[in-house]
Amino acid sequence: MLNEDKLKLMTSIAMFEKREGKAVFPASCYFKSDYISSRMLRSFFYYSFCYLLCLLIWILYSMDWLLNASNLDEVIGMAVRAFLLYAGGLAAYLAVTFFVYRKRYEYARRGMKVYVAKLKRLEKRYEFQSRSKELTKEGIRHDDVSRT
Amino acid sequence: MMMFLVLKERLKSFYGRYATLAGGMIRFVYSFTALWLMSVNLGFMGRLNSLPVMGLLAFICGFLPFGAIGAVLAAVLLAHIYAVSMETALIMAVFLVIVALLYYGLRPGDSYWLVLVPVAFLLKVPFAVPILAGLSAGLVSVVPVSCGVVVYYIILYVRQNAGVLTNDASVDITQKFVQIIQAILSNQTMTVMIAVCALGVLVVHLLRTLSIDYAWMAAIVSGTIVQLAAVFAGDYFFNVSMPAGELLLGAAAAVVLAGLYHFFVFAVDYSRTEYTQFEDDDYVYYVKAVPKVAVSKPDVRVQRINNPAGGRRVRER
Repeated sequence: MLNEDKLKLMTSIAMFEKREGKAVFPASCYFKSDYISSRMLRSFFYYSFCYLLCLLIWILYSMDWLLNASNLDEVIGMAVRAFLLYAGGLAAYLAVTFFVYRKRYEYARRGMKVYVAKLKRLEKRYEFQSRSKELTKEGIRHDDVSRT
Repeated sequence: MMMFLVLKERLKSFYGRYATLAGGMIRFVYSFTALWLMSVNLGFMGRLNSLPVMGLLAFICGFLPFGAIGAVLAAVLLAHIYAVSMETALIMAVFLVIVALLYYGLRPGDSYWLVLVPVAFLLKVPFAVPILAGLSAGLVSVVPVSCGVVVYYIILYVRQNAGVLTNDASVDITQKFVQIIQAILSNQTMTVMIAVCALGVLVVHLLRTLSIDYAWMAAIVSGTIVQLAAVFAGDYFFNVSMPAGELLLGAAAAVVLAGLYHFFVFAVDYSRTEYTQFEDDDYVYYVKAVPKVAVSKPDVRVQRINNPAGGRRVRER
């Protein structure tokens, strides 16, 4: 026979997995520090790659100036400014990444608590159902024995 | 009003029954519109302009998520631009890669704003997207909306200078880069429109989240007025000329589109608002409950009663 409560619970678990699964499950595989640091490492590579692309465009844009630059100090000064820009931008981007993923991890942890609570309720339902089945079987056996 | 509410219920019911098909159709229309607009406004890559190719690409996009559709549309856009100017295509590619890695690396899932902004600008309803973004997304949507404005103005630059970009083979490649980058960066209209869109998203989002009656309507109207005012201020301070009639028509169309979105997503009846107050050990709660407007879908059953004499009566109930 269909158990309506169990069906509702299973549906709500499936809906939770569909809606929140992407946000909750990847984060729950890691410790907080590992999760945030792995995302920050990824952001470091993304930012560095983007900076290199911008540098490429800037070099193409300033090719004439670079070829005609006679003073080495001028070129070194430009390189230092470029490095400072890279370092400043990287620090800002990593800070944004840190705050975003810290918030996301907290959200995932709360979501995981809800998910585990639902699973536990479902498990209890199953236990209750199997125990009641066993008791029913024992009752039938007991009736058969008493009749004979 | 009742007719629209019934229509809404029917659409909800249809979407609930055929969600996969409806989602695929929406993605098909979205990608076909973008491909068609690229073909009409750029169209420099001949092979991508034919209707069967666009239809096939849009059909494939119907099965893809919005992020992947964005990648397909970006590839088509780059192909069109590359046919005119390799340098502009390179600049556009670098810009798109930067947006994809730095913004979508942190916040994947709303790539459609980046596509919808150029689409709305090309359809002459530039104010619609900031209002819709303010209503449906958070303040962070300012980033993809602004990037969409940059994409549109690069498309416009290529369209307006296609002849010059194709025929300047004698010009040095570095000279070309200097010309293109200077032209893009010195485009004051683009700067003004980025500010206008950012302001629009900000105002709409702030007003929408206020706990006042008719907050969404106030947000839509105020967002439109603020954007128009910002355009006229840009016109005055930066000498950016924009056709006033077209802007006003675009603003009216944006209000209509936003009104439709409001009706389908947030139809509430403020006349039946209820207030209640209670408290627990730690807090006092002031609750304002606004009921949603909903009607049940009319259940029309036609019962056919066959007359043995040959006539037929149809009764509706």
